[in-house]
Order: sequence, then structure tokens, then C-alpha cells
Amino acid sequence: MQVTRSIPRKLSACRLIHNHHILRSSGPAGRTTSFGFRTVPEESKESLVKGVFDSVASKYDLMNDASSLGVHRLWKDSFVDTLKPGRKGPLRCIDVAGGTGDIALRILDHARENYADRETTVDIVDINAQMLKEGFMRFKKTMYHNTPQVSFHEANAQELTASQFKNDSYDLYTIAFGIRNCTSVPAVLSEAYRVLKPGATFACLEFSKVNNSLLSTLYDQYSFTVIPLLGTILAGDRNSYQYLVESIRKFPSQPDFAQMIRDAGFSTGGDFDGGAWTELWGGIASIHTGVKI
Amino acid sequence: MTTTSAKLLKLALPLIKNHGFTRETLSLSALSLPTPLANPLPDASVTALFGPGDDACRTLVHAWLDDARRRMKEEAIEKMGMGDVLKARLKSNEPVLEHLPEAFALLASSPLLPLPLLPVDPAPIIRHAAQVSNQACWIAHSDSSWYTRRATISAIYLAAELHQLTSPKTAPEFLDSLLENAEHAGKALDETALFASYVWKSWRGIVRSSGVLV
Repeated sequence: MQVTRSIPRKLSACRLIHNHHILRSSGPAGRTTSFGFRTVPEESKESLVKGVFDSVASKYDLMNDASSLGVHRLWKDSFVDTLKPGRKGPLRCIDVAGGTGDIALRILDHARENYADRETTVDIVDINAQMLKEGFMRFKKTMYHNTPQVSFHEANAQELTASQFKNDSYDLYTIAFGIRNCTSVPAVLSEAYRVLKPGATFACLEFSKVNNSLLSTLYDQYSFTVIPLLGTILAGDRNSYQYLVESIRKFPSQPDFAQMIRDAGFSTGGDFDGGAWTELWGGIASIHTGVKI
Repeated sequence: MTTTSAKLLKLALPLIKNHGFTRETLSLSALSLPTPLANPLPDASVTALFGPGDDACRTLVHAWLDDARRRMKEEAIEKMGMGDVLKARLKSNEPVLEHLPEAFALLASSPLLPLPLLPVDPAPIIRHAAQVSNQACWIAHSDSSWYTRRATISAIYLAAELHQLTSPKTAPEFLDSLLENAEHAGKALDETALFASYVWKSWRGIVRSSGVLV
């Protein structure tokens, strides 16, 4: 297993960011983007997001468990199971915003347990060194530690360095609960398209819009009251979790995000649940996929 | 479905003859693109574009059925009678005949069904026959009497298609005999029920024996 810092951290362009989509605008005060419900200068979002994830890194999984009642694990299982890595032979995967390693570990376990595949590899990329450190520690407890099957890279999802992340080089690109934190979603999608081989798959697991009004109301109440409270109790950090909830609400709807994926050059299924995206738990989260053709 | 997905589906249709209504067929379609991929589509990409598991195969079945109906219209000639129209449709089954039982089994075995309470869903097959019937009536419009008997035509077509699976050479004669009897008997409703019962029992047997439900 290797950990690389592909680019000096002082070069912000090379640092990884967890999130992305933001409503971008420009005016007399310059380009702005959303940071939760706040509008902030585009150049400051990256550091703000980094602050959030630095703050929550050590208790990220604990908070995810508490705030989703453990459901995020089921969603991640479903996400990887849908992709069936290893079914048709070894894959070269890149898991972006995957610092804690939970998606990468599921990919490697799925390939090994279901298809006796020990050749599939995952490059874990995150802009946040703290999150990568958590993932590295997690992998040290597994059989994949010190093997070519996993590597860690500190890099910016929006500007993956071309020398390290070459064009047309990956079979599968995954990003789970990360893209909404990035300053520019289109830039992330563009980089995903660049590094994937022709015919390869882009897959994104992200919170999305709940279409059922009753469920939506209940979910809103839970999100804006319980999750920040849990952040205070379990992590001593209300603001970071308040941001996480707000950023979910600012993320585009399923059809809008599917269109963004197509705008980046990917082909998708139709604009319906089961086509370009698959909704989980009524749309609380969705799996979006696209194919580079 | 995006333009590319639709294009791949179209390119997959000629491959069905050799590879069946399978995910492999969809995967291989990428090799027929104007700028072909170096390798077949990976499995995850087939899932992304056409759905997981058998859903992708069902997408291919529906695309093939749609294409067959489109060709009914395109290849129709002036003043075709109902028998000729339906025989032409049966003929279009011939290149993929060995794969059709599996295709219909896929249609009738929706994963949403509450197995094993209802192991087979007849609705997609009935819908297929009804669509063929509608198209046939539109093409054979000179024979207006058939417009009032579409349900009968649906049942007759299904019975003939079923017959074709087990005895391809005698299917046209079988179709003729069914049409003739139905026309002379003048008991369309009774015969529709009779045909439907016969067809349903037979299809159920085919679906069960196809192994799709195992």
C-alpha cells in the first residue's frame, strides 16, 4: 500500500476536495458558490470544506452511523453491489473523496469474496489528508495493507494531475457522498471523464431529493434538528454537521444532476428512477451512473 | 434513454441471433459503433445504461419487439390481408426463434412479482400480442371487419406464435386455419376466451421450463 501526496499542499489546485456542486455566479464581488445555505467566494469554499472534514474526520463514520441510523452502510453496500466489481475480471478503480476507505474496502471485498478476484485495484483519492489518514489506518487492519491493491493519494477531484492520473486509465470511477462538497461539480465530472477508459463507468452515490412530500417533511425535520444535535453531542461540532445537512439541500435534483453528467460527455440511462439514477429510501440518496462512450 | 443508449440497443439487434437476449449481446454492441470501442462494454456499464441483471435483457427484448413491429409497417405492401400481415410478423421471428422462449419468459418473470404466489405475469405477453394486433389492423385497414375483433386477433396471433416455437414450418398454415375458423364461426368473444385459455396454459409451461424462474 502506498500513500502519495501527489502535489504540494500549498498548491490549492492540486488538493482534493470532497464536494462540488455549487450554484456559481459572478458579479461585482467575483464568482461565488454555495457553502451550505451560505454564499461564499468560490476561492474560499475549498478551505471551508477542508475545515469541515478536518473537524469531523476522526468521528466521520461514527457520525454517519448516528445520523443515518446505520443506513449509510446499507447504501454503500448497495452502491458497490450494483457495480459488481470483479464480475467480468479485474478492474482498475479510482475512488474519489474516498478518504476513509469504506467504498474502496467494499470494492475489494466484493471482488474477492464473490469472484475470487485479488487483482482489482483501487486508488483512493481525497483532498483531505486527515480523511486519508483515517482510511490508511482502516486498511492497516485488512489483508490489503501493503499490497498493490490499494493506494492513497492526496489530490483535488477537480484537477487530478494528468501525470499521475492519466487519460483513459481507469475502468471504474466512484465518488460517494463527496461530490456535493466540491466547488465545481462540472470540473469533477470533466476530470472523471478524462481519466476513465472508453466504455468505463462513472458511479456517484450522493444524497438527493425526496419526492414524497410526507417523507420529505419528516426527513427535513430530522435533518435540521437531530443531525446537528448529534454533531454537538458526539463530535462537539454543531456547525460542521449543520453544513453537511445544508449542503445536501443545495445539491441538484436527480434529473438536474443526470443532465450535468451527460453534459460532461457521459451516456446515461433515461431520466427516471432505475435509469440514469437509482433512488435509495425514497430518494434520500441516489446512485447516479454514466458511461464514457 | 439517451441517444447513445438507443444507438447501442439498435446495434445489438443483429447480434441477438448469435448471442440471444443477453447482457453479452448488449456488451458486444459497443464493438459495432461507428467508432468502435476496443473491448466490449464492461458489465457495470451495461448496468448503467440498460439496468441491472435481467432488467437489461428485458430492455433488449422490448427493443427487439418494438423493432419487429416497426418493420411490420415498413415492409408492408399495398392491400395486404390480415393473414399476410401476421405471417410476415411471424417470419420476422425466425432468425431469433431459438431465443424467443427465453425472451418471453423474461418478460413474464418480472422481479416485482410476489414469487412464488404469482410466478408468472401474463400482462407483458398479452400487451405484446395486443400491440401486434393493433399494428396489423392498421396495416390491413382495407379489411375493416377486423377492427372490431382485435382481441380475437391478439389471441390468434399468440396461439400461432406459440405454435411457431414448437413447429416453425407449419405455423403459417396453423395461423390460416385459426383465422378462417374465427371468421366463419362468428363467435369472436367465445373464441377469444378459448384461445386465451389455451395460450396462457402453454406460455406458462414454456416459461416454467425455460429455467428463468429457477
